[in-house]
Amino acid sequence: MCVGISAKVLKVNQGTALVDASGAKREISSLFLEDLEPGDYVMVHAGTAIAKIDGNDIEETDQLMESLR
Amino acid sequence: MKQALEIVQGYQGPTLRIMEVCGTHTHEIFRKGIRKVLPETIELISGPGCPVCVTPVDFIDEAILLATEHGCTICTFGDLVRVPGTRQSLASMRAQGADVRIVYSPMDALAYAKENPEKQVVFLSVGFETTIPACCLTVWQAKQEKVDNYSLLTANKTMPQAYRAMKDACELFLYPGHVHAITGTKICEQMKEEGISGVVAGFTTKELITALAVAVTRFQQGKPFFENCYPRIVKPEGNPAAVHLIHQVMEPCDALWRGIGEMKDSGMRLRSEYAAWDARLKYNLPKVEGKPNPVCRCGQVLQGQCKPTDCPVFGRGCTPEHPIGACMVSDEGACSAFYLYGGAL
Ligand code: SF4
Repeated sequence: MCVGISAKVLKVNQGTALVDASGAKREISSLFLEDLEPGDYVMVHAGTAIAKIDGNDIEETDQLMESLR
Repeated sequence: MKQALEIVQGYQGPTLRIMEVCGTHTHEIFRKGIRKVLPETIELISGPGCPVCVTPVDFIDEAILLATEHGCTICTFGDLVRVPGTRQSLASMRAQGADVRIVYSPMDALAYAKENPEKQVVFLSVGFETTIPACCLTVWQAKQEKVDNYSLLTANKTMPQAYRAMKDACELFLYPGHVHAITGTKICEQMKEEGISGVVAGFTTKELITALAVAVTRFQQGKPFFENCYPRIVKPEGNPAAVHLIHQVMEPCDALWRGIGEMKDSGMRLRSEYAAWDARLKYNLPKVEGKPNPVCRCGQVLQGQCKPTDCPVFGRGCTPEHPIGACMVSDEGACSAFYLYGGAL
C-alpha cells in the first residue's frame, strides 16, 4: 500500500493532474505541488503527487560517488 | 555502480548493522538480490516501516465492528483485508456478507461515498507520512463539500519516535525516501545531533548500492553523520503544502504499534474540528483490546531482534496464503519478503 510510483504529468487541471505511470493513465491529486506542468515527473503515493522528480538516478548517484572521492 | 559495490564489499570493520526502516526498501533489497552481494560484515535489519505490519489487532477488530454492528461500508487498501484480527479478518467478514471494498487511494473512498449517499463509508486510515496527506485531504474536502457519510478510522503513524525507539538495534538507518519527501530532512539532522547516523535512500539498485557505499564510507570516518542520497526527490524542506494540511487536519497522539507497544506522540488523529469525520467518535466505538496470536513474533521481527526465519511457524503454519501475523500479509512485511525471496522456498 505504501509503494511510491513515478509518473509523467500529461495534463494539469484544478487540483488534479492526469498522469501516465508506465502506460497506465490515472487522475491524481496535485494539490500539494504548485506549478506542475505537462512533461514533469512526479512521485505518486496513494493517489497523490507528493514530490516533483528532479533529474535521474544515474546522474544523482554518479554525483554522490564523486563526493566520496 | 562498480565503485560503489567495491566500497560496500570491501568493508572490513566490526559488524555494521543497518536498519532499512521502510518496508518497500526491504522488498526492493530482496528483489534485487542486494543481500546476496553484501559481505558478512554488513547486516541488514528490517525495521518497523511497514504500515500494515504495525497496525494493531484492535484496529482490525474495530473495523469489523463498524462493518457488522453499524453496517458501514469499509474502504481499505488491499493489504489490510487479510490481516488477522482477534478472531476474524476483514476478508473472512466479507465472505460472510460485510461490505468491504478495496480502493487504491483514500480519494477513491471519498468518491465512493459521494456516489452512494445512502451508505456510510469508512476509510481505514493507516500509513506513515507518505499516506497521511492523502487521508487528510479527503477529510478536508469532505468538510468543505459537507459530505457527511464519510469518515476515517485512524491508525496513522509517524517515524521520528520509531527511529529513536530502534536506535540501539543498529549502527545506522537507511531512512525511507518517500517519508522524507514529505517531512524534509530536519529530523535526520536532529538525529545526527543526538548521535544517530543515517542516509536517506532511493529505491533503484543503483540508488540502494550507492546509499550503502556512502553509509559505509561515512561510518568508517567515525563521527555521527547524515547524508541525503535521494535529493532528486527529497528536499531539505520536504513538501510544505502537505505538512501544512496534515497539521490543519490532524494532531499527534500516542499510538500502539503492533508487537512493539505504545510510543508517545508516534501517531496522528483527527483534530476536534474534524470530529464529525472521526469514525471512532461518530459511532461511539467502545475501547477494543485485541489479542494477537501468541505464537507470532512480529514484534521482535519489527524491532530487529529476530529474523522472520527464527519464528517457529514461519513458512509452516504461517505463509502469505495463510498468514498468522501482519508481517506475512503485506507486500512490505519482512516475513513475506523472507518467504518470497529468502531461504524458505
Ligand atoms: S512468520 Fe508469521 S507468525 Fe511468525 S513472526 Fe512472521 S508473521 Fe508472525
